[in-house]
Amino acid sequence: MISYIIRRILVLIPMLLIITFLVFLGLEFTPGDAVSYMVSPDALANISQESLNQLRDSLGLNDPFIVRYFKWIGGILKGNFGYSLSSGVPISEIVFDRLPATLELSITALLISTFLGSILGIVSALKKGTIIDNILTLLGMLGVSIPRFFFGLVVILFFSLRLGWLPVGGRLLPGREAFLDTLPYLILPSLVLGLTMTAGVMRYARGSMLDAINKEYIRTARSKGLPEWRVKLIHGLRVALSPIIVLIGFRLPMLIGGSVVIEQVFQWPGIGREFVAAVRFQNTPLVMMIALLFVLVMLTASFLIDLLIAMLDPRIRLE
Amino acid sequence: MESVKKTKLDKKMDIIKQKEEAGLLENKSQNRALRRFFNNRLAVMGLIIFTVILLATIFAPIICKYFPQKIDMLNRLQLPSSEHIFGTDKIGRDVFARILYGGRISIFVGVGSALGAAIIGVLIGTYAGYKGGLIDKIFMRISEIMMSFPRIVLVLFLVSVVGQSLWNLIVIFILTGWGSMYRMTRAKILSIREEEYVLALKAFGLNDIIICYKHMLPNALGPVLVNITLSTAMFILQEAALSFLGLGIPLNIPTWGNILNIAQDISVLRENWWIWLPVGTVISIFVLSVNFIGDGLRDSIDPTQQG
Repeated sequence: MISYIIRRILVLIPMLLIITFLVFLGLEFTPGDAVSYMVSPDALANISQESLNQLRDSLGLNDPFIVRYFKWIGGILKGNFGYSLSSGVPISEIVFDRLPATLELSITALLISTFLGSILGIVSALKKGTIIDNILTLLGMLGVSIPRFFFGLVVILFFSLRLGWLPVGGRLLPGREAFLDTLPYLILPSLVLGLTMTAGVMRYARGSMLDAINKEYIRTARSKGLPEWRVKLIHGLRVALSPIIVLIGFRLPMLIGGSVVIEQVFQWPGIGREFVAAVRFQNTPLVMMIALLFVLVMLTASFLIDLLIAMLDPRIRLE
Repeated sequence: MESVKKTKLDKKMDIIKQKEEAGLLENKSQNRALRRFFNNRLAVMGLIIFTVILLATIFAPIICKYFPQKIDMLNRLQLPSSEHIFGTDKIGRDVFARILYGGRISIFVGVGSALGAAIIGVLIGTYAGYKGGLIDKIFMRISEIMMSFPRIVLVLFLVSVVGQSLWNLIVIFILTGWGSMYRMTRAKILSIREEEYVLALKAFGLNDIIICYKHMLPNALGPVLVNITLSTAMFILQEAALSFLGLGIPLNIPTWGNILNIAQDISVLRENWWIWLPVGTVISIFVLSVNFIGDGLRDSIDPTQQG
């Protein structure tokens, strides 16, 4: 197991180096002076040309390219992500400010899609070939075909504008912090994000349940004379649910991508919305850093998932 | 216990037998995959809807008497009527015309990007899968790096680097989309490589290029076709999402996503449903039809995947 972990980390390191290198390259080609996102704008405002040159020297901006790259990486490891071009706020501050909102939305959506998706998928598998199965499959197709943001707009029109049950968007009124205060704001975006991800989960759960109930041990269980519901729900389900870890893994890109769009539709003040704004206003350092952050999240998650799978399935470790 | 009762399949078999005895079974010389595709009701329905919408956008000038960019300040925000089927928008442009003309660009972006990504992915994947070694490793690494970005993040990242335009968007879609085509083709070629006829071709001393592109590639084309279809659906959705965010195709070109962009305005969202609701529905129906076709193709090419 330890050798497997080490091997995985060894694969990860060159990949991280290449990705960060690409991001650094992007920053290099950004028009404008690199000083502007390395130094806080307040300090930059009252500075003379001479001391600016000195500053460039001390910041290492006159160093060879590759040296600057490694210094930049060192800075990132210490938590120095640079400054946003438009507001002059440190990027790390922006990220930490926005992170809770995004996590709140993503985790809720993840829970919704996991529960709904596995339940519907299992029902669909147990009722294979019946009308229920067909309807669920059709709904699943519909779910992956409707643009997420359009679904969000329709939902806003009905539940917020026409019926007036829930707020149109935003997250919190100023001065309100408790979770119960956010709840009405959270319902629509998390439902939209969760429901659009349910289709994939459902398909997957249906497949793995069908797989499980056709296995030999199910026949064994049946031949022992166990009641049918016990065979399916206890013996089949247990095996079918184990790939659920993989499922979280493959939904992560969907979750991030989805939150980028959904946060915009519902004016949810998360990282995805910040990212879109940064792209729109050509705030390159912020774009690069948020993209880097997303990649790091993805890589870490896929690494952890690989470890979990290897722990559950010894065959993988030995490959 | 089931031996007495006739199952559904038994009944089907009986019907086939009856037909056979009566000499009613037609001679099935047709392609088997094609026949299976046309027996799939949803796939055929998808194909019909797809064709109807595609033809409607191609023949837009005949179907619709308005131009998508024609501003008519006298007839602003008209409700749907016999004059304007889906009404008019804030500056009096006919929404129906915009949907039809916008469809041209949106479908072109979707199909074009999917084809472009397929050509690049398949060309590289076939060769890399057949030869293996360093080339294969390099491309595998590149595609892994691209896939470690969530797709829309990578697309937005590239948009912020190269700027917004129709062709930039297509190039970006191809750049972000070839990876999955490459991996799929490569995997397929890897399994074909083990077949004996490849060994025979090698023994004949045929050139590598001829072996992999002329003799192996045709056997891998089925899944590629499915993948192209499903990617088309995905790219159309992506174009719509990006343009909705105002970061896709420049707003002066009507596309399905660009028409929906206006719905970010809460007053339009509330008061003028006819501007954004029809176009969103058209996108959904079109993408659904493409997905039906893709699923039908997959089932007919590879019945083992049928669930």
